[in-house]
Amino acid sequence: MIMKTDEQDSNPSFVLRAIKDVAFEDRAVPKLRDEHDVRIHIAQTGICGSDVHYWQRGRIGDFILNSPIVLGHESSGTVVEVGSAVKNVKVGQRVAVEPGVPCRFCGYCRSGQYNLCNDTIFAATPPWDGTLSKYYIVASDYTYPIPDHMNMEEGALVEPVAVAVQITKVADLRANQTVVVFGCGPIGVLCQAVAKAYGASRVIGVDAVQSRLDFASSFGADDVFLPPKPESGVDPIEHAERVAALLKEKFNLGEGPDVVLECTGAEPCIQTGVFVTKKGGTYVQAGMGKEVVAFPITTACIRALNIKGSIRYTTGCYPAAVDLVASGKIDVKRLITNRFKFEEAEQAFELVKAGKQDVFKVVIEGVQ
Amino acid sequence: MGQEVRPPLPDCLLIYPTTPPYALERDETLTTMQNLSFVLEKTGVVKFEDRPVPKLASDYDVLVNVKFTGICGSDVHYWQHGAIGSFIVKAPMVLGHESSGIITAVGDKVSTVKVGDRVAMEPGIPCRRCIRCKDGKYNLCVDMRFAATPPIDGTLAKYYTLPEDFCYKLPESVSLEEGALMEPLAVGVHITRQANIQPGQSVVVFGSGPVGLLCCAVAKAYGANKIVAVDINKERLDFAKSYAATDIVVSQRESAADSAARIIKDCDLGHGADVAIDASGAEPCIQAGIHVLRTGGTYVQAGMGKSDITFPIGAMGAKELNVKGSFRYSSGDYRTSVDLVTSGRVSVKELISNKVKFLDAETAFNDVKAAKGIKVLIEGVEDSA
Repeated sequence: MIMKTDEQDSNPSFVLRAIKDVAFEDRAVPKLRDEHDVRIHIAQTGICGSDVHYWQRGRIGDFILNSPIVLGHESSGTVVEVGSAVKNVKVGQRVAVEPGVPCRFCGYCRSGQYNLCNDTIFAATPPWDGTLSKYYIVASDYTYPIPDHMNMEEGALVEPVAVAVQITKVADLRANQTVVVFGCGPIGVLCQAVAKAYGASRVIGVDAVQSRLDFASSFGADDVFLPPKPESGVDPIEHAERVAALLKEKFNLGEGPDVVLECTGAEPCIQTGVFVTKKGGTYVQAGMGKEVVAFPITTACIRALNIKGSIRYTTGCYPAAVDLVASGKIDVKRLITNRFKFEEAEQAFELVKAGKQDVFKVVIEGVQ
Repeated sequence: MGQEVRPPLPDCLLIYPTTPPYALERDETLTTMQNLSFVLEKTGVVKFEDRPVPKLASDYDVLVNVKFTGICGSDVHYWQHGAIGSFIVKAPMVLGHESSGIITAVGDKVSTVKVGDRVAMEPGIPCRRCIRCKDGKYNLCVDMRFAATPPIDGTLAKYYTLPEDFCYKLPESVSLEEGALMEPLAVGVHITRQANIQPGQSVVVFGSGPVGLLCCAVAKAYGANKIVAVDINKERLDFAKSYAATDIVVSQRESAADSAARIIKDCDLGHGADVAIDASGAEPCIQAGIHVLRTGGTYVQAGMGKSDITFPIGAMGAKELNVKGSFRYSSGDYRTSVDLVTSGRVSVKELISNKVKFLDAETAFNDVKAAKGIKVLIEGVEDSA
């Protein structure tokens, strides 16, 4: 069953053709690949640092832009066509879209770690097209209905909430634990909010920008911290140890927080994060910055830290994220600072790239 | 090869030719049958039947020429009772699910196995899309299609299709007979995973049938230092002792608490065992299993008997036991089984009591029903005269 049978229907798309070269293209309306697929009319798409990075640098790690791709992966939309075996959604239903569909056959997929599947088709990770088109095709079990009282912008923000849910899952966050989150960008503040929602007794946000700390205070953090800058000539490791000690003292964290979530990727934060974690505590690396850093490994060893990486999301993260937003526990609307029409997509990307302090989450409306 | 005497075709043999005239022919030899199958027609009635060779369902599927099939209590149960729980035999169904074979055809996108590969066959195909599947517990998939669980046909046929990731290549050093034992071994691997057996622990296994014995073997491979086999049958226990158990105990008519106390005393289990596995399904064993554990111990229910029993819930609560179920196998269990046998840490050859020809399948079922031997294998359909 198809909602729109207009033969003139097209699929305007925002395409990254080569590094720093974006353009609008009119592509064919995509077809369902099998009986489990659905076609989504995309309603809203948030912009992520990774989208900007592919645009400016053309690669992240082993993912290299070799041919044009449609950008965008944080989307919501309306189901307009369903395959014959689809049971979980109907035409007309409003959904949040999980943009990475794994192969379902490999060892990772079969053991519950589908975020690690080597053959994942991930929107806007080369060579796969993203969601900044009128229509997007995805397997139905990677779409999640959102309730009527959730709008499409909130639906698009489910993706970064799901990232935060995965980070706390990897951290094995328990009720009544203390948590320090480095970074008060979208992922950082969402981690703070998720940790609070999951019963953390104390959540402290750390950032170098005061306005971001102010927002974090009003969002999910119990306390915020602006680390002092190092004096010239001071060894960065020594400085990190000092900052860690300051953090523990200022907020009465005793031997340190139970959990540290590193959401900046910045080397000084990584170092401070390891120094501040209590003995036997858990440190999760979520932020991406320099690929190789100076890491206080002996401290990690002596203090028996659990150090883990977190990437994307796994089973249950999207439903949990929808629930956190739908129940009002996390007010994602407050993260949106700028809105653009589809035709203004390039300006939206330029705005995110400029990195101004008052720009937080930017969303692009879908093709009407 | 050579002058083999062909056994006379049984009276129950029915052959359906695939081209007209569709008359029953009683003198056809095996060579003209495409896919001879051993079918449970209805409760108590089995027959041989020729069926079409199955087609590959997708580009990721393979066609396997089945070579050996072991018989499980569940196969016998469907034959005798026509149902297990809510799974009811409503139409004729091919039996068997513990098989190994040789790949004879592969779909276009198959990349992990090839024609000619000798494989152990994992007979349950999950949907891959539900929450349980994506969470790594595909044995709990609500849309599981399991061989010889109605209405899905089993592997006692000449050919069977499977997705490539449910076929596990056997190294040259592992025989196809051993390959057919991978299924019950994977059950044992899954149980010990549920039990979370750690090196140095003590384990009591109730029931010394194939699953119980394999649990003992896996526990031993995982470093358990005391493995107690309990059964009513002394012969099975003697075998268990020669196989993998460090201690054996014969069940007696006594209360479950007394039984547990006796096991603890006779086997020097201190405050109680770390782990108890029930592979019998028998109510007295389940009760004794709870009582034989130390505080904080782990109990795993693997055996299937009465659906509802009298359970020592007071002891379970007061001793803060971890009580879990175990059902079939999931991600990694088959691979682990092949590795355990390949490396010699577990040996399965000893469990094979007998091998029968495909056309003698019914006698094999009767033997299992009479609890003769440990594991009886049915050979695959022979190719030609």
